[in-house]
Amino acid sequence: MKIIDQNQVDVDNAFVKEIQQRSGQNVFLCYQCRKCASGCPSRMFMDSTPTELMRYVQLGMVDAAMKKNTIWYCLSCQTCSARCPQNIDIAHVVDTIRILVQEKKIKADTKNTRVFNWLWMKMLKWMGRIYEVGLTGMLNLITGKPFKDLSLGLAMIRNGKLRLLPSIRKPLMMRMMFSRAKKFKK
Amino acid sequence: MKIAYYPGCSLHSSGIEYDISSRKICAFLGIELVEIKNWICCGSSPAHQKDELMSLVLPTKNLTLAVKTGNLKEICAPCSSCYSRLKFAQDRLKNESLKKDVEEIVGCKYPQDIEVLHILDVIFKKVGIDAIKEKVTRSLSGHKVACYYGCLITRPPKVTARERFENPTDMESVIEALGAEAVDWNRKTFCCGASFALTQTDVVLELTKKILTDAISSGAQSICVGCPLCHVNLDSRQKQINERFNTNFNIPIFYFTELIGLALGIEAKDLGISRHFIDAEDFLNERKLK
Repeated sequence: MKIIDQNQVDVDNAFVKEIQQRSGQNVFLCYQCRKCASGCPSRMFMDSTPTELMRYVQLGMVDAAMKKNTIWYCLSCQTCSARCPQNIDIAHVVDTIRILVQEKKIKADTKNTRVFNWLWMKMLKWMGRIYEVGLTGMLNLITGKPFKDLSLGLAMIRNGKLRLLPSIRKPLMMRMMFSRAKKFKK
Repeated sequence: MKIAYYPGCSLHSSGIEYDISSRKICAFLGIELVEIKNWICCGSSPAHQKDELMSLVLPTKNLTLAVKTGNLKEICAPCSSCYSRLKFAQDRLKNESLKKDVEEIVGCKYPQDIEVLHILDVIFKKVGIDAIKEKVTRSLSGHKVACYYGCLITRPPKVTARERFENPTDMESVIEALGAEAVDWNRKTFCCGASFALTQTDVVLELTKKILTDAISSGAQSICVGCPLCHVNLDSRQKQINERFNTNFNIPIFYFTELIGLALGIEAKDLGISRHFIDAEDFLNERKLK
């Protein structure tokens, strides 16, 4: 159990408010029972547990919440949200912090998730559907591991499990939806 | 019975045998799956991690397209990620102001009374166990299966409205109707790491190893799944796991739709089973299921 000296913490109320407003979750309901941490399949990879993350948010510890790797190891498996005795949608809180980090372009080791998300959404915007071969290839190129999973990919092609050409649907409509959505965010 | 069909990007590519077998068994069981015209990607994990509004807009657009495709009120999504995103959109759009914004971006009205079903629900609720039992011509008796649900078919219960989200049994009922034995095991709703398949493969290998180990130690001879992402991780990554952890996994992974197809008497090659990484041929030969 880590003990946080509250006199040495810069409490950022604006951060808590923003998280609560955007996620619709009352993070102050969390009483640190650790049920989320116990069930989290990704726990072993994280700097701090989901329970600790909730405490950081309650205390407005922006840096700890945003820069630790906890949020980037969240698999969105929904175990924490399903089990929380206080009915807090913890996965939604994690998503909200991830969105804030990406929107504010905060430097953090996002384990390639940021570039993956960016690529995915760009592909969606221009093509309407995800083209797995292109997505994997581009991700591996950008992250500097061009041969990652190459043999797996080739075997998939041999087994007839990959579509080699992209299928493009309604690119104009997609771009219009994206630009209309942009207006709502301002 | 006509149901709108939303295959999603995976079922047109890496999960193609899930698409083939779903269509085959539904046709056999008297369900007409009508593919939604010009469906678009549901956004999956990246959308809800990056852009909350779009993560609701994209599934909503698909719901409106389902209504346009022959005014269908039920929509079947075999991919559990697609299923989850459609369900999430329905849950979040109970908020009126959010609904108004999303409707404006999508450009048409949000169809409220549409029912989103996973293919497991179509089989279990719409077709029913008794109807399947009647049509089984090739019993899978003597075969021990671990039914693996993964995360998003059952969780979160607030969205999926499932009572038994920790220990679901729908797939077991279906498998037992085919004559096979469903083993009791621990990790049927444990995450395989699907959303990290491309970005953090180490996590996937670690989690998948745990699932395979548990299934085998519970006496399962194969695992059946209901999600294309789980299938890719459990099936095609067994070789990588063996290399990484010095293990010796070689357990066939089926989509539960393929097992239904086999029991209904459909040939293995017509169900796309030859596309699997872990060769299921010997396994099927031994049981005279080919």
